[in-house]
Amino acid sequence: MTIVITRIHIRGYRIYKDFNLLPNPKMNILVGGNDAGKSTLMEAVSLALNGRIGGGSVLEELNPHWFNTELVQEFVAQRTAGKKPALPEILIELYLRDDDELQVLCGAVNTAVPTHACPGVFLRIYPNEEYQDMLDDWLKAPNALLPVEYYTCEWRSFADRELTKRPRVLSVATIDSRTVKSSAGVDYHLRQILSDHLETTEKAEISLGFRTVKASMTEGALATVNTRFSTLGASLLAEPMALAMDQTSRTSWESVITPHVDNVPFSMAGQGQQAAIKISLAMKRHSAKVKIVMIEEPENHLSHTSLSTLLDRVEKLASDDQQLFVSTHSTYVLNRLGLNSLHLLNRNHASKITALNPGTVRYFQRLPGYDTLRLVLAKKVVLVEGPSDEIIFERVFNDVHRLTPMAAGVDVISMRGLALARCLELCAAVDKPVAVMRDNDGIKPADLRIPVAKWLDGKKRELFIGEVSDGRTLEPQLITANGEPHLRDVLGITPKADLVTWMTREKTEGALLIAESPKALTAPNYMNAAAEFIQNA
Amino acid sequence: MPNHLTLAVAGGRKTQGLVEYCGKATDRKIAVLTFTQTNQQEIRSRLASHKGDCNTLEVMGWYTFLLRHFAQPFLRFKFPKDRVMGFDFEGRPFQFAKGKSRFMDSGNRVYACELGKLAFELMEATPALLRRLECIYDEILIDEVQDLASFDWEILEVLLGSKIDVRMVGDVRQAVLSTNPRGQKNKKFGYAASLEWFRDKEAKGLLTIAYATITYRCRAEIATFSDTIFDATWGFPGTTSENLDETGHDGVFLLHTQHVDEYVGQFRPQCLRHSVSSAKHLNLDFQNFKGVKGATFDRVLLAPTANIENFIKKGTALEATAAAAFYVAATRARQSLAIVIDKVGTSTLPVWAPSD
Repeated sequence: MTIVITRIHIRGYRIYKDFNLLPNPKMNILVGGNDAGKSTLMEAVSLALNGRIGGGSVLEELNPHWFNTELVQEFVAQRTAGKKPALPEILIELYLRDDDELQVLCGAVNTAVPTHACPGVFLRIYPNEEYQDMLDDWLKAPNALLPVEYYTCEWRSFADRELTKRPRVLSVATIDSRTVKSSAGVDYHLRQILSDHLETTEKAEISLGFRTVKASMTEGALATVNTRFSTLGASLLAEPMALAMDQTSRTSWESVITPHVDNVPFSMAGQGQQAAIKISLAMKRHSAKVKIVMIEEPENHLSHTSLSTLLDRVEKLASDDQQLFVSTHSTYVLNRLGLNSLHLLNRNHASKITALNPGTVRYFQRLPGYDTLRLVLAKKVVLVEGPSDEIIFERVFNDVHRLTPMAAGVDVISMRGLALARCLELCAAVDKPVAVMRDNDGIKPADLRIPVAKWLDGKKRELFIGEVSDGRTLEPQLITANGEPHLRDVLGITPKADLVTWMTREKTEGALLIAESPKALTAPNYMNAAAEFIQNA
Repeated sequence: MPNHLTLAVAGGRKTQGLVEYCGKATDRKIAVLTFTQTNQQEIRSRLASHKGDCNTLEVMGWYTFLLRHFAQPFLRFKFPKDRVMGFDFEGRPFQFAKGKSRFMDSGNRVYACELGKLAFELMEATPALLRRLECIYDEILIDEVQDLASFDWEILEVLLGSKIDVRMVGDVRQAVLSTNPRGQKNKKFGYAASLEWFRDKEAKGLLTIAYATITYRCRAEIATFSDTIFDATWGFPGTTSENLDETGHDGVFLLHTQHVDEYVGQFRPQCLRHSVSSAKHLNLDFQNFKGVKGATFDRVLLAPTANIENFIKKGTALEATAAAAFYVAATRARQSLAIVIDKVGTSTLPVWAPSD
């Protein structure tokens, strides 16, 4: 049985003004810069699935900062201008796949246009009509801090049926990398995961056993104490005072029983270990009850090897009937779990990789160290062959635009022997503007262009190669452009040394000298063209 | 789609049959639909004692069923911007109301009397509705099915053709309570003519009809008398009684007005009349025919309408509605039924008189 979220729609919640994400059925990797809304997205999903936040009720936790500032500012501005816009609301909708077993959640009470019936749940936070008088009062002098006290919330299925607790089919496990802080050693998420893991009968058995243990304490060790107490007259009133184990629900087994790893209590285990345990518990194959797993930044607190082990486990455990959401800052995680599952978040907007060749996905899985994330997150990309090309291009770009590439939002990335076609395919898949430069190695540029031509459009993505007659690689190209005497002067090498041999041997050293030289440099044509292209792309 | 209709006589333990069926079908997702609150309570408590708590079973009213599975989820297929905000049991739309105001009041509360039409139109508007129902329920059980009205019949017809098994019990002889007093559509089915509708569906292979002809309530004399209320052209099978209790005053009696007080004093019957405006010459503690549906009394005293009087003294056939009402009233009695009438005509029923 698979539960699949097919669309996440968030309106007015934190940084999301009006946001849509169409998740993949299995693996979803959320990447984006800081502040791009990765955690907020996970939080919103869990809010709509649980109708609660971090174990607390929505209305208790609600505060003015939940509302999208932009929307609130627009609202205040319009009000001040004498218009009558409605108070801002928050809406989180989860559209689910139209499966038979989810039909009880099916209906058309959603924002889809035209009217569309499918299973789903929504959480809406809106002004409470019962407080209309207070709201009217507040509206006389509105400000950016909305009167959340007069708001209420509804948590319903698309069939417009109120939800009182999470529907059984929608179990979710959230694994955050934050350290466990609660004194019991088990935070809310972990408790939920544990609880999902235990059968009802098992829970009842544990609970009963725990009560018995508590009772035996009262009858055993405490009995002698109580005998002494009874003679003490400690109580102000006549009734005798006695000690007994607390049998109320405040001290239920859940708060005392905690997982141990290698005889060490969970809360004492290393942070990486903690994350690993949570992930295993949540994703264990036989706990097929958990349908949606959300993992926040698994790379936190983990060494490279532990991370690798952990990702192995995630891959192994991810069963066919679980949908995974993983947020990450790590290229390694991204490459390993598969580039094709990537969602690039950029505040109010998400783009996802469509139609990435499985071969390319596997290619980067084998080379997980390669900085695909950098490529994905950059505004514009220039791909070069190696570090010396990188250094020289930065200087050329600066000469042309009087601006460093960084300042212009251009990230110059060296492919270091990576296949050009794979990189280009990835750039095309995320619709990234890119200029690629490569050596001709004695082959006509037109011929080199053929195998990658399908990724090139001359507007957003283009390939730049120097003429064969100007030299096979960067160094002879530079000599052709500047003339030997000038370059010798820039590099400050003796007449005895052969220029080409020296430059080829001291690639990066030479490139650095050229880049830092105050003397003028004439760039090879293809580099100039690339610098122009990427600025306008 | 094995659909079943059981037509039972009054006192035939229809509801008990449903309850027992639910007890057996434990792994099926079942909705039990009824038409009155009392009936719902009755079924819930009987089910609770019968099979404890079972989460594959839901008992709800017909209106709730239409609201929860038709109007609320799918309203937007007719009114894309609206939501159902409640239910208006009493209200009615203006006579020429169009669009939204035909179905809902200003607070988006759906009018009870238009809910069937709305539900049916939504069912027509999207296949998602029926598919959803088919996924949620394996079976739908309907108690007192004769109480369906107007568009309810259209909805039932679709259900009969769906993957859901529909089991119905009813008594076409006592179709008194209509769910839609104003709706004109399918009026012909509203009362006993619904039998024709079911027989037509049976002929098309959509359902099988079974007759439960044993009454556990009425004495044989009363059962036999109640069989005569609908003439033979209706084709109802005769009733057999399993009530063999004897009290010394059992059966159907005619009673002259002058003996009423003495009769009431001696037997303390429940007195029934057609409505407030009838039997004004008798000062008794009456209940109306419609109000006693589903009830049982040991003894009944009945004040007849002019039509009923004619039926008794001349054998003039009653039209369907009147017959249904009379049937309900007569079959409330366990042991004795007394009908107040001064001129007995050709009737062969015994006339009660005080013994000296």
